Amino acid sequence: MTNELLPGLALQKVDERIMTLNVGPQHPGSGHMRIIVQIDGDYIVACDPDPGYVHRGEEKMAEYRNYILNIPHLERPVIHDSCNVLYPYVLGVEEILGIEVPERAKYVRIIASELNRCIYIMYWLAIYGIFLGHSTMFMWPAGDRELLIDLMEKMTGARVTHAHFVPGGVRNDLPPNFEDVCLRQVNYFEKRIKEYAAVFYDNPILISRTQDTGVLSRQDAIKLGTTGSVLRASGVDYDLRIKEPYDAYDELDIHTNVMTEGDSYARSKIPWLDMIESCNIIRQALKKMPKSGSVRVKLKPNPKGKGFESVYKRVESGRGSLGYHIVSDAKPEPYRLKISVPSFRNLIALPYLLKGEKLGNMPSVYWSLNYWPVEADR
Amino acid sequence: MMSSDSETSVLNTTEKPTEKPTEKPVAKPAAESVQLPAFEKSISEKIVEKFNDKVKIAFVKKDRIKIDVDKENVHDVAEFIRDGLNYDHVESVSGVDYPQDKEIEVVYHIGSYTDPSLSRQILALSTRAQREENPIPGNDATKLPTLRDVFYSVEFHEREVFEMFGVFFDGHPDNRRLLLPEDWADLPPLRKDFAIKGR
Amino acid sequence: MSVIAPKFKLSEFIKSLFDNAFWALMLMVLVGIPAVMMILFVIEMPVINGELLTPFLAFTWLADPSRTLPIIQAFMTTDMFKVMAFPGFGFAALLAAGTIFVERKLLAKLQLRVGPFYCGKLEGILQLAGDGLKLISKEIIIPAKADKPLFWAAPVMFVAAAAAFVALIPVAPGWVVADVDMGLLGVFAVIGFFPIITILSAWSANSKFPFIGGIRALFQMVSFEIPLILSLLGVVMITGTLNLSEIAASQSSFPWIVFLPIGAIVFFITMLAELERIPFDLPEAESEIVAGWLTELSGMMYGLVQLGTYLKLYAFAALFVVLFLGGWNGPMIIPPFPAEIITDGITMGPITLKVPGLPIFTQEMLNGTLWFVLKTVGVIFFIILPRGVFPRVRVDILLNLGWTKLIGLAFVNIFIALGLLYAGVLGPGGLQ
Repeated sequence: MTNELLPGLALQKVDERIMTLNVGPQHPGSGHMRIIVQIDGDYIVACDPDPGYVHRGEEKMAEYRNYILNIPHLERPVIHDSCNVLYPYVLGVEEILGIEVPERAKYVRIIASELNRCIYIMYWLAIYGIFLGHSTMFMWPAGDRELLIDLMEKMTGARVTHAHFVPGGVRNDLPPNFEDVCLRQVNYFEKRIKEYAAVFYDNPILISRTQDTGVLSRQDAIKLGTTGSVLRASGVDYDLRIKEPYDAYDELDIHTNVMTEGDSYARSKIPWLDMIESCNIIRQALKKMPKSGSVRVKLKPNPKGKGFESVYKRVESGRGSLGYHIVSDAKPEPYRLKISVPSFRNLIALPYLLKGEKLGNMPSVYWSLNYWPVEADR
Repeated sequence: MMSSDSETSVLNTTEKPTEKPTEKPVAKPAAESVQLPAFEKSISEKIVEKFNDKVKIAFVKKDRIKIDVDKENVHDVAEFIRDGLNYDHVESVSGVDYPQDKEIEVVYHIGSYTDPSLSRQILALSTRAQREENPIPGNDATKLPTLRDVFYSVEFHEREVFEMFGVFFDGHPDNRRLLLPEDWADLPPLRKDFAIKGR
Repeated sequence: MSVIAPKFKLSEFIKSLFDNAFWALMLMVLVGIPAVMMILFVIEMPVINGELLTPFLAFTWLADPSRTLPIIQAFMTTDMFKVMAFPGFGFAALLAAGTIFVERKLLAKLQLRVGPFYCGKLEGILQLAGDGLKLISKEIIIPAKADKPLFWAAPVMFVAAAAAFVALIPVAPGWVVADVDMGLLGVFAVIGFFPIITILSAWSANSKFPFIGGIRALFQMVSFEIPLILSLLGVVMITGTLNLSEIAASQSSFPWIVFLPIGAIVFFITMLAELERIPFDLPEAESEIVAGWLTELSGMMYGLVQLGTYLKLYAFAALFVVLFLGGWNGPMIIPPFPAEIITDGITMGPITLKVPGLPIFTQEMLNGTLWFVLKTVGVIFFIILPRGVFPRVRVDILLNLGWTKLIGLAFVNIFIALGLLYAGVLGPGGLQ
C-alpha cells in the first residue's frame, strides 16, 4: 500500500465531533447504493450519495444493438416496471421510423403500463414499510402484488421483464377471456389496497414519524427538478398523462392526486392514491378498447431511420417522468441513447433534505423520494 | 404518441456526420414550403430576436425545439431562457460524441412546471466542446461553463457527463465522479473510441 | 456407508482402544473420585427414614420401585431442582421456546403467510431446534480491535441476569426459587443490570453501529425504568408488602387490575420498552443501524442473547401476572386426588400395587400452576401482537413518552391507590 492515492480518491480532514457513517451497500436500510452521512450526535450534518454500484453501462451497450435487440436490454433498469421503462423508447423509435400504431395496440399498452405502475408501487411500498420497521406492511403489499403479476404473466408470458412493447405496437394480443379475469382481479386488488389505510396510513406511530420531516417546499421541488410523486406531494400538479398525453391517454378520464404538505407522509401517500387511480384507468381502458384489430405493425428486418435525427420522448412511469433522448444517423443501431430516469433526477433532493435531519428520519426520507437504485445507475 | 402529421416535419439540417463543417443553417428556410408549428416558432423567434446570430436553431418540431449555442454564450442564453421565457428546470443533460468533428456536444433538455402553456414543451439547448485525442479529464481543453447557477437541477447530471465524456464544467461546485468506481483509469466510457471488450 | 475409515488397520484400532481406556481410567481417578468426595462433603444430602441419602444409596433405592417416589419427592424440594427444572430455568426455557414458536406462527397468520412449515411433521414445530443447531454450528467472529474479555462475557452476563430475574417469580404457592422478603426490590435491582450489560457489550465491540445501538438501548431502558417502578408502587401501597408470594396470595378474591387499571397499562407499555419489543425496538433498528448492539455477535453468542431476551420476556409477563392479574389464584378445576390410591393401592386384576409417596403434586400446586401458565400465555400473546401492527418509534418520540407522559400517568395511578387506601376501600380496614 503506497501513499499515492488512486485517481478519483481524495483525503479529507475529519472533525473530532463528527462521525462518518457508511450507510453502505451492505446495509438493510440502503438498497443498492451507498450514502455517506456525517452525523453530529443524532443530527446529520452532511450527506453524500454514492450511487453507481449497479452501473452496467446500458447506454453504451445500446449503441451496439439494433432497435429491436435493444428491447430486452433496455427494460433491465426496473425489471418489474419494464413496460414503462420501454415505453418512451418505443415511442421514440416509432417517430424515427415514421410508423403509426393501431388503436387496439394503444389500449393494450395503456393497460400494461398501468398494471406495471401498480406492481412497482406495491414493491416500493413494501420496502418503505420494512424500512420503518413495519413487517406487516412488507408482507401485505408483496402478497397482493401477486394478483397483478399473475395478470401480466397471462398477458406477456413473463412475471417480470416482460419485453412486451415493440416499435409498432405490442408483441402479442391479449389472451381470450382476459377482460373478465382482469376486471375481477383489479376489483379485488382495489379492495385490498384500501385496507392499507387502517394499518399503515392512519397508524399513529407512522404519522408521528413521518409528518413534518423532510419537508420539500413547492419552490424547491421545482428548482431541484424533481418529478413524479415527489413533485405532486409538494403541490405541483404535473402528470405527463394529462399534460402531454401519448397513445390513447387523451381519451381517458384521469385525475391527478396532489398534496401540498411536501413531507415524507405526503410522499408516501401519493403513490397509494395513484394506484387507486390506476385501477380506474384500467377499467376505463378495458371498456373503451376496440374489440378486435391488429396489435402490431410488421417491420422489415433491421429497421433504420431516414437521416440524421434526434428525438426526445417522455412518459409517466411509476416514479415520475422518464425520458429518452435518441440520436440516430440512418443506421440500424442508435448513435446515442440517453435515458433520463426519474430516480436520478430525484437524487438531488437527498443531500438537500437530509441536512439537519435526525438520523432516525433517514430511512423514511430517503425511500420516500421514490428512489429505485438500480434505475438511477442504469 | 407522435403520429406523423403533415404539418410537422423534421427539419433536417445538414448535420450528416460524414461531411461536415461546424456550421448549421438557420431554421427559417426560404425555400421550404412546410409550415412550422406556430407556438414553438414563436418561442424560437424570441430567442433569435434577443441573441441574433449567436444562436442557431437546429430544428422546430411539435413540442420540441433545439438551439445550438457556442460555449461562450451558453450561460447568457440559459439565463434568458430561465428569466425571459419561464422555463424552470432541466430534465436531462446528455453528451453526444462526434469524433469526426472533433467535438463533444452537450444537450440540455429544459422544461417548465410553472407555466401552463409550456407544460408540453421541451427546449433542447446544445453546446459543443472541443475534443482531444488523449484526454486527461479535468486538465485538458475539453471544458464548458457550468449551468448550475442558472438551473440547480443539473448538478448530478453534469457530474455524470464529466465522468462519461471527460467534459469539465468550469464553476461546478463539486465536479467529481458519480457512477464510475473511484479507481477508473481508462478512457471516459461513452466516447466512441472506448470499445467494449469483444465487440 | 460401507467404509468407516479409508485406511483401517487393526493394530491401530486396538491401540486406540487401549488409549481411550487409559485416559478414561486416569480421568476417573484423578478427577472423578475427588469430585464425588466433594459432593458428599459439601452438598447437603437430605435424610430420609433416618439414613443419609448419598448418591450410592439413591442408586440402590431407585432399583426398588416402592422407594422411587419418596426419593423423587425429596429431590423436588431441594434447591437444585427448583433452580434447574421447575419453576426455574427449565420451565422458563420451555415457555420461552413455546413463545418463539407461537410468535412466528401468529405473525405469519397476521401477515397472510404460513410461517415455519417444513421443519418437523406438524406445522414446523421443530423449527426452533433447527435454528438452535444452526447457531451452535456457526463460527464466532470477534472484531479485531474489540475488547475481548468484555465481549465474550457480555452475552453470558445477560443470560445470568435474565435467569436471576426468573428466579424471583413465584409460580405456585410455595414454589419459588428465591423467596426473598423484598422480592420486588430485588426485581428492580436486577432490571437495573440490563442497560449496563447492553452498553458494555456495545462498547466493547468497537464498531460504529453497535455504538449507536448501545447508546439508544441505554437511553431507552434507563428512561423507562422510572415509570416502571412508579407504576408498581400502587400495588405495593395497597398490599403493604414487597414479597412477591404475599402479593400473589393477597389477590385471592380479586386481582389488582380491577382497582389499578392505569398502573397496569403503564406497566405494560414500559414492559414493552424494557424488552425491546416492537414498537420500541430501537436498539435493534434494522433499517438504520444494521442490528444495533447485536451487530457483531455471531453464532452461539447471538443465541445466548436471544435466550436471555426470551427469558426476560417470560419473567416480565409472569411479573405482570403476579402483580396485577392474581398470580396463581383461580377457581379450582383440578379434581382432588382419589384417596383410595393412597390407602388401598392400585388394583388391576389380581395384582395390587401399593405405591407410597403419592401424590407427588398437590392439588393446590397443580391448580396454581395451571392458572399461572394460562394467564402468562395470555399476557405474552398481547406482548406479541403489536409486532404485526406497529412500525418502530423514533428516539425522540420514545424519550418524550417515557419522561413526560408515562411518569404523569404513573403518578395518577399512585394518587388513585392512595385515595383507595385512605377511603378505607382497600387495605387493612376495608375489603379483603
